[in-house]
Amino acid sequence: MIRERRTALVMSIGPAALVFVASAIVALFSHRSPTRLALELSWAPPSAARPLGSGEAGVDVMALVGHGTFRALVLALGVTAFGFVVGVPLGTTAALASSQRQQIVLRLCDLVQSFPTFLLALGVLAAVRVPSRWHIGVVFGLAVWAPFARMALVQARAIAGAAFVEAAKALGATRARVVALHVLPNVLAPVTVQLGSAAAGVVLGETALGFVGLGPRDGVSLGALLEQGTVGMLRAPHVLAAGAVAVILVSGSLQMASEGIRRWVVKEA
Amino acid sequence: MTNAGEAATSSKNRFGASRRVLTAALSRSIGAALVLVALTSLVFLALRVLPGDPAALVLGDEAPESARAVLRARLGLDRSLFAQYVGFVAGLVTGNLGESLSRPGVAAFAEVFRALVPTAALAGVSVTLGAVAGVVAAVFAVGPWLGAAREWIHRAMIVVAAAPLVAFAPIVTFFFAVRTRLVPLPGDPESGLAGLLFAAGLLALPLAAQVGRMGRAALLDQVRAKYLDVARAKGASAVRVWVVHALPVASAPIAVVVATQLGALLGGAVVLERLFERPGLGTLMLNAYAARDIPVLEASVAAAGFCFVVAQGAAAAVAAVVDPRGHVP
Repeated sequence: MIRERRTALVMSIGPAALVFVASAIVALFSHRSPTRLALELSWAPPSAARPLGSGEAGVDVMALVGHGTFRALVLALGVTAFGFVVGVPLGTTAALASSQRQQIVLRLCDLVQSFPTFLLALGVLAAVRVPSRWHIGVVFGLAVWAPFARMALVQARAIAGAAFVEAAKALGATRARVVALHVLPNVLAPVTVQLGSAAAGVVLGETALGFVGLGPRDGVSLGALLEQGTVGMLRAPHVLAAGAVAVILVSGSLQMASEGIRRWVVKEA
Repeated sequence: MTNAGEAATSSKNRFGASRRVLTAALSRSIGAALVLVALTSLVFLALRVLPGDPAALVLGDEAPESARAVLRARLGLDRSLFAQYVGFVAGLVTGNLGESLSRPGVAAFAEVFRALVPTAALAGVSVTLGAVAGVVAAVFAVGPWLGAAREWIHRAMIVVAAAPLVAFAPIVTFFFAVRTRLVPLPGDPESGLAGLLFAAGLLALPLAAQVGRMGRAALLDQVRAKYLDVARAKGASAVRVWVVHALPVASAPIAVVVATQLGALLGGAVVLERLFERPGLGTLMLNAYAARDIPVLEASVAAAGFCFVVAQGAAAAVAAVVDPRGHVP
């Protein structure tokens, strides 16, 4: 039974791990460059040397997919890790505070989660000379902690009333000890469910920004690839296909991982 | 305090109920004002505090210092930051943030209002389409008509909700508008209503899926409710049970979903305007970004933020009206 469940978990996280490893291999260990241009190969169809063909000005689509995916995933992992580290302690400590303070944190989460991130990104990116992934990361980082904080708050509030927490308090444990040893470990598992969907959100946000021309200046992003594919739709449909499949694979595999973790956690409880 | 408890006290004390609705409305308005202030202030600050001379960003590095000084004076960048902010807020309130840099002589807000019309049409039609399609899908996913096929509707909702617009919109456009020409390209000025409907339909798909998922969950909560048994016992048809009796109860969470999806809708609208090269607020913002047209950029972010906040408030108000328990979602 446990082995079956473990297999199910691995199967659901596997695709995301596979996408990450494959993109890392292309980005780190292959000689393909996503910025080297070969004008004579502009919009050339797939060939043996270039399995995914060439895009605008003869850029290697395979390299663009690999590097774009890898950079998007690294960005997503960094931003989500930041959200996790900020959001979980915030939500957990708020859960043990007064109900007014809980309300304030929850309302703040509402506010941040419904914030039009795109408008913010536009303003911030317009102000910098050369937009980079760091700036995009900062914009997403401003909002990414909210779902983690909300989830941790709701979860910790449920646990705070449990008998084992009462027992720990009755035994004279300090508040810090109760939070760190008794509440936090039980909050972590359900909150990890958010990791996958938050990461998928960051990847899609970065792609959308790149698509409309707000991405990194070097043009190495899945959004820039999709933009190329849209421009060359009639001449070279393979570019659009490669970009769309890559985006769907990355976000789909992350969401699948999220769902797999959710199933694991729900049955665990 | 639980909702049941609140409902019980409110039936005893009508004054308390109206005061709570007032409090809820007030905290909503404060939240909306906070979003607006935060958004506009962040954009204001980002354009001035981040390293780099805005005048150099606009004119390029080669521009002579005298030209930059003229532009700085025109944008008021030579004043203190506080004086600039006061001027900026006054400009927002009076609707005068100066003239566009790329189109001299045209007020920034005039540009924004011209661009607002097509975007408002796109967003309005897609919210309507998404909400209606989502509710219909939710009713069919719960009602007795489709039998085992209901599970497939649910799966389809999950897949569509997870499908990234930025990836599937170009693909759908390629097959339906470019290859087969079943629908006109929405960026074409001649495309008219069909083009608008096509673009709005694309934008409505993720919204419809989210509304469908939430609506299905809300309707499933009602399956065992006593009042539905009473309706059935009185001989009501399945349509009457689900549409007339259950759906109104489920409409509050649906309105909340629409409210939370508006930010994504706004981003999606910009993506589609870029994809179709359709005129609108998104196109204006992107052009202002590319040209570093600071007054237009500030005006368009403020206008978009304002519309966003008003739409969100409207959706929240709908949720509050249809759910008389009056809790703050």
